[in-house]
Amino acid sequence: MSPTQLEELQQAAPVRPPFSLAELVRKRPETITFTLLVGICIAVAIANPAFLQPSTLIDIGRASVVMGLFALGVFIILAAGGIDVSFTAIAAFTMYSMTVLVQSYFPGMPIAVILLVATVGGALLGVINGLLVHHLKVPSLIVTIGTQYLFRGFLLSFIGTVWIMSLPPQMGAFGRLPLLQFESANGATVTLPFYFLVLPIAAVITWWILNRTLMGRAIFAVGGNANIASRLGYDLRKVHVFLFGYAGALAGLAGIIHVCANRQANPFDLVGTEINVIAAVVLGGAKITGGTGTVLGTMLGVLLIVVINSVLVLVGIPSTWQRLVVGVFILLAAAFFVTRQRKK
Amino acid sequence: MSAKPNIPDHPGSRETSGHFLELHNIQKWFGGVHALRGIDLKLDLGQAYHLLGENGCGKSTVIKIMSGAIAPSEGEIIVEGERHSAMSPIQSLAAGIETVYQDLSLLPNLTVAENVALSEQLVSGKGRLGRVFDRNRLKETAATALKAVGLPSDRAFLNTTISDLPLAARQLVAIARAIATRAKLVIMDEPTTSLTRREVDNLVSVVERLRQENVAVLFVTHKLDECYRIGGHAIVFRDGQCVAQGPIETYTKKQIAELMTGRSIGSERYRSGHAAQAELLTVRDLSVSGVDRMNFTLRKGEILGITGLADSGRNELAMAITGVAPARSGSITLDGRPVAIRRPADAIRHGIGYVPEDRLAEGLFLDKSILENEIALILTQLSNGFGVIDKQAGRATAERLSKEMRLNTTDLDLPVGALSGGNQQRVLIGRWLSIEPKLLVLHGPTVGVDVGSKDTIYRAIQALAEKGIGLIVVSDDLPELLQNVDRILVMNSGRVVAQFDAETATEDQLYQAMLTTKLETAL
Repeated sequence: MSPTQLEELQQAAPVRPPFSLAELVRKRPETITFTLLVGICIAVAIANPAFLQPSTLIDIGRASVVMGLFALGVFIILAAGGIDVSFTAIAAFTMYSMTVLVQSYFPGMPIAVILLVATVGGALLGVINGLLVHHLKVPSLIVTIGTQYLFRGFLLSFIGTVWIMSLPPQMGAFGRLPLLQFESANGATVTLPFYFLVLPIAAVITWWILNRTLMGRAIFAVGGNANIASRLGYDLRKVHVFLFGYAGALAGLAGIIHVCANRQANPFDLVGTEINVIAAVVLGGAKITGGTGTVLGTMLGVLLIVVINSVLVLVGIPSTWQRLVVGVFILLAAAFFVTRQRKK
Repeated sequence: MSAKPNIPDHPGSRETSGHFLELHNIQKWFGGVHALRGIDLKLDLGQAYHLLGENGCGKSTVIKIMSGAIAPSEGEIIVEGERHSAMSPIQSLAAGIETVYQDLSLLPNLTVAENVALSEQLVSGKGRLGRVFDRNRLKETAATALKAVGLPSDRAFLNTTISDLPLAARQLVAIARAIATRAKLVIMDEPTTSLTRREVDNLVSVVERLRQENVAVLFVTHKLDECYRIGGHAIVFRDGQCVAQGPIETYTKKQIAELMTGRSIGSERYRSGHAAQAELLTVRDLSVSGVDRMNFTLRKGEILGITGLADSGRNELAMAITGVAPARSGSITLDGRPVAIRRPADAIRHGIGYVPEDRLAEGLFLDKSILENEIALILTQLSNGFGVIDKQAGRATAERLSKEMRLNTTDLDLPVGALSGGNQQRVLIGRWLSIEPKLLVLHGPTVGVDVGSKDTIYRAIQALAEKGIGLIVVSDDLPELLQNVDRILVMNSGRVVAQFDAETATEDQLYQAMLTTKLETAL
């Protein structure tokens, strides 16, 4: 190759573009999420300084756990170009079945085993999703709408419809187990529960899987273009099974934590909150068409939704407005991402 | 294995005692269609092969069998002495067979480094996914392979997302992946279809380097000129059978074309008619981004060729005249009257038709029938006061148009996506005939079309000119222009830099004008 041709190619390739905000936003759309989050926090803190009290922040942390676990599962499936709406049904199924199981048959089961069994149970239900998606060759949205009804129908028909108000003691104790505890200015005790740790741990593991293992790269490869990924030798069946199994495991874990935190098991709970979670992931910069997004963005998206849901009340905005605000944010963020891409 | 003596077949191949890859009596049925009828092939390391044949002759089926994407119905694949009745993609890759499909098989959302070097780790791990990958090795492998194809290998480039790269660089990234996986056979499916001539030059030199490193290269292509430039063996397919094999120099272009189609094809000038005296189109000072104050005229029944490099403004000009990307300033006069073309609908109203380069994405409704595609422009004329479409009249029109375009099928309800490239192009041109156009702009009319279909398309173009329609053919296929048009305008940096009479011009003259003037204007 002649030197001139080489130069031309090198000119054609973008080599270290000068820093620009637009470029940053295009490459890392979660900067928008972060900006929105900080903006809201500053606005709320100005309107009502009570926001900055540790108790509010801890409330936010506590409220993020279940949604955050769900969101990690949704994100990993979205990264592979799929979508999952059955995770709430998986969570409801595992949490209620586990509670019934422990209460009626194994009252002495240690909490670690309960968490483990719930996670494995969730993973198995997820694997069903994965196998169906792979072998039926039907979009995962359709498959998981089907399995959402299936899992939930099975739960309500065969396992029970009764609210369980008194949990097995070890589950209640886990929900109350403190990680941090101190007295706030007004004398009330503020507790950051131990289970809060589960979210950052799950986030780090998810990040590690996605960015350091071949499976993680395979997930993004499938999200980029499933046909090409299969041609390049990525085993789509393994990817689908892992993907939905992992999301199912997170959902199972989230379900049992939800029960422990609320100190009751309601079989009608959780299902119906899917859109909220998907909204969080999309606000975190993941494209609904797949192949993009980051764990950090997903976590920021979750925080944004939780903050909107729990904090607007602090500044006197009625809770009915929350949906309005979330809707506007999603449209704004989407419009922003899209215009940035068109300019490219 | 065949009982061959242990002597290297070619002086260029160092360690081969047998053939690298052998296909033995490969048969393939798709339902009732017998796509491959006993293919026998032997490929050796360090050689270049050109797999030639018309659309639907079984070329792509054969490469899919080699790359493990589909299994043959019968026959054997023997790779370095190892017999397979079928291969999986990972087996094929592990054996050193890398296929660069027309879409390049790049993952748009991953980085250059990942696209180049991740496959190597996947293949060396036999496709197991539950492993941590070696990030340092990833970067090193990628950098080495990128250097080998002449791309930058710095960190910024390694971390660039593929969707941010220009097409020519993507092509090289795909080849770099083949180098990174230490491929022994690289199959390239129509690698040059969307490249400019300069980019093709670069590709040719990379291929030469691959051969020197004892890699076998198999091209699947329609462009015979490039095959001769690269040299090597020609393998000609027709109707699922291999009809000829041998050094490409021993065949003339004409012979190969005849082997491919099974009938004789002339390479003479198609252009026979003469333009009328009456002026049809006058373009004055037309400017749009990439085009700088263009002036030209076109007479009725005249065929005007416009060529230039990809960034010369030829594409923008075509889109400005047809309203796809309207002109910023300047005037267009059609049939003596000034016309304002702000959007495609204006162009259609004035009788200007546009056959885009990417007919799949921009021109056709692929999952709709031939009938629906043909009448898409005249739905208003076909419908009554209530907006109900007269299906009888529509069918009659579509039948007339497909007859006029000599479509290869009589089943008008067939989805257009199921047709060959040549037939699709004829459907598209046929659609424009439905509005009885005054002017047709054809953009790359035979891109991705085989020799036999080219012939029919060229004849159709001449027939249109006979009818008094003015035609503008925008193309970088220089022989195509020389064979079909009256005059050729060569564009460079948004301006016309040379004008040739197609009857006397040569390819070299055109190529010189496309390239050198750029340097002169830059100096």
